[in-house]
Amino acid sequence: MKHKDWLFLIPGMTTVAVITQVPFLLTLVYSTLRWNLARPDLPVKFYGFKNYWYFLRIQDWPQIPEFYYIVWQTVLITFCALALCTIVGFLLALLLDHAIPGVNVARTLILGPFFVMSTASGVIWKTTILNTTFGWYGVIAKFLGFTPVDLISYHPIAVIVILFSWRWMPFFVLMMLAGLQSIPEEIVDSMEVDGTNWWNATFSVKLPMIRKHITVAMMLGLIFLVKEFGLILVTTAGGPGTSSYTLPYAVYMQVFNASNVGRAGALAVITVILTLIGINILYQTIQKRSAIYE
Amino acid sequence: MSDPRTIQEIQRSIRTKKAVRMTVLTIFVFTVAILYFSPVLYMHLSAFKTEYDAVSPSLFFKPTLDTFQKVLGDETMYGYLKNSLFQVFVGTIISLLLGIPAAFALTFGKFKYRTTNNKIYLWFLTTILLPPVAVIIPLYTWFQTVNLIDNRFGLMIIYVGFHVPIVVWMLHSFFSDVPVEILEAAEIDGCSRFQQLTLIAAPLVKTGIIAAGLLVAVFIWNEFFLAFNLTGNEAATLPVYMARFREQQGMFVAQLSAASTVVILPAVIFGWISQKSLVKGLTAGGVKG
Repeated sequence: MKHKDWLFLIPGMTTVAVITQVPFLLTLVYSTLRWNLARPDLPVKFYGFKNYWYFLRIQDWPQIPEFYYIVWQTVLITFCALALCTIVGFLLALLLDHAIPGVNVARTLILGPFFVMSTASGVIWKTTILNTTFGWYGVIAKFLGFTPVDLISYHPIAVIVILFSWRWMPFFVLMMLAGLQSIPEEIVDSMEVDGTNWWNATFSVKLPMIRKHITVAMMLGLIFLVKEFGLILVTTAGGPGTSSYTLPYAVYMQVFNASNVGRAGALAVITVILTLIGINILYQTIQKRSAIYE
Repeated sequence: MSDPRTIQEIQRSIRTKKAVRMTVLTIFVFTVAILYFSPVLYMHLSAFKTEYDAVSPSLFFKPTLDTFQKVLGDETMYGYLKNSLFQVFVGTIISLLLGIPAAFALTFGKFKYRTTNNKIYLWFLTTILLPPVAVIIPLYTWFQTVNLIDNRFGLMIIYVGFHVPIVVWMLHSFFSDVPVEILEAAEIDGCSRFQQLTLIAAPLVKTGIIAAGLLVAVFIWNEFFLAFNLTGNEAATLPVYMARFREQQGMFVAQLSAASTVVILPAVIFGWISQKSLVKGLTAGGVKG
């Protein structure tokens, strides 16, 4: 009987390993090669850490190479969107936790953007809202009497943060709402009897009680945000210049525009390392904070 | 104590206060919810405009179905739609076929070491954390050598690999709710492991399977990065169609809205239907585990 249980596991494990693990190991290998698809005349050869060095070196201080700006933009966008999603998401979850008539309809409406594909949401926002002549933003700005600036070219990072948050916040709301609803009725009742004020009830009782839900929402949310690519491509396309590039976008440009497999590999590995560091920091911080309540 | 009102009066005033608070809260919650969803709502609305009406933003106009007819009459969209449906159906079913037995074996399987189950389960979870950029380069070069670029089946295999872990993750908690005793009793009665899964365990976690399937279907329907990079014209899916819409069709707000409406509606409806089981699957899978 024992060996038969493996038969259930092996097909799934093999597929996942071949599709996700092997290519990742190959990416590690590629990142140490000099390999340019556009230059078949140059033989593929071992290059050591030169691909990494190409991005990491700072040639003439104080001029900081583009790579560091891209890293900074990625961190900034991810951090701001994550913070917005968590804080506003928590407030929305609190709102939706009330037993008001038709609350399910309201929940459904807020959950909606989570299921809308990112390229479609990007296109909708770009044409019907952010456009200075055809969009609501332009019309409202003109109505209020000032000339609308093109947000996509003047504040690309802010636009991306807002769009990322709008698209992924419903997931945070979903998780935190589930947490709030799992709080036992007796606790809510006894707080009411004791006359606990709203602030204490929310931040000293409810918040610590749903910390596990918040942890899962933030960790998975971080992954979703780091992965997000379609929204950038259809709204700012990384521009103007490279001012709204993120690391995944830079990897894409390295493979499909520059055709440089080696350098793209190095960037992809750096992306994975930074993601893991980010998840780790997040996990440690939450663990430390929740230790207070144990 | 000097309150001159009778108890009934006090009760009544408390009740009115509560009713007023409830009304205000309801209005506030709905305003927030509608505003949050308004970009999508407005897009649905614009889909019923003529191109001329859609140029300047407005809420009132004479609704027409012309734009829809134009978009649905466009042959190119059907190619993308067919590809999307293929990926969703075949990809989701294969992900489930591979994921369900794996989740089952991880919950009830007996291996040489008792920690094996947990270790493999954690391994599946870590693969969820891997961003697609980490694998796109080798996949792209492989696909080029074996001519799988712009091939439906190539993309489908990748989707299966990326979504099996999600099925395992969601179903693990559902299977954990099934009492071991039932399976043990079945085993004594002569059920093979395979029968235990198909006849007993799987029907018991039906809601979980449906939730996992719907979530995977929505993810595949919306997936853009892999589809965009691994397909050309033949195998491209709807998210790619949306991304290309502006360059191919030009700046037509009403057409764009109608196309987006058609494209996002299935996922939104699917998502809303699966909402409840989705919450259970996501929270049980993540919070307990």
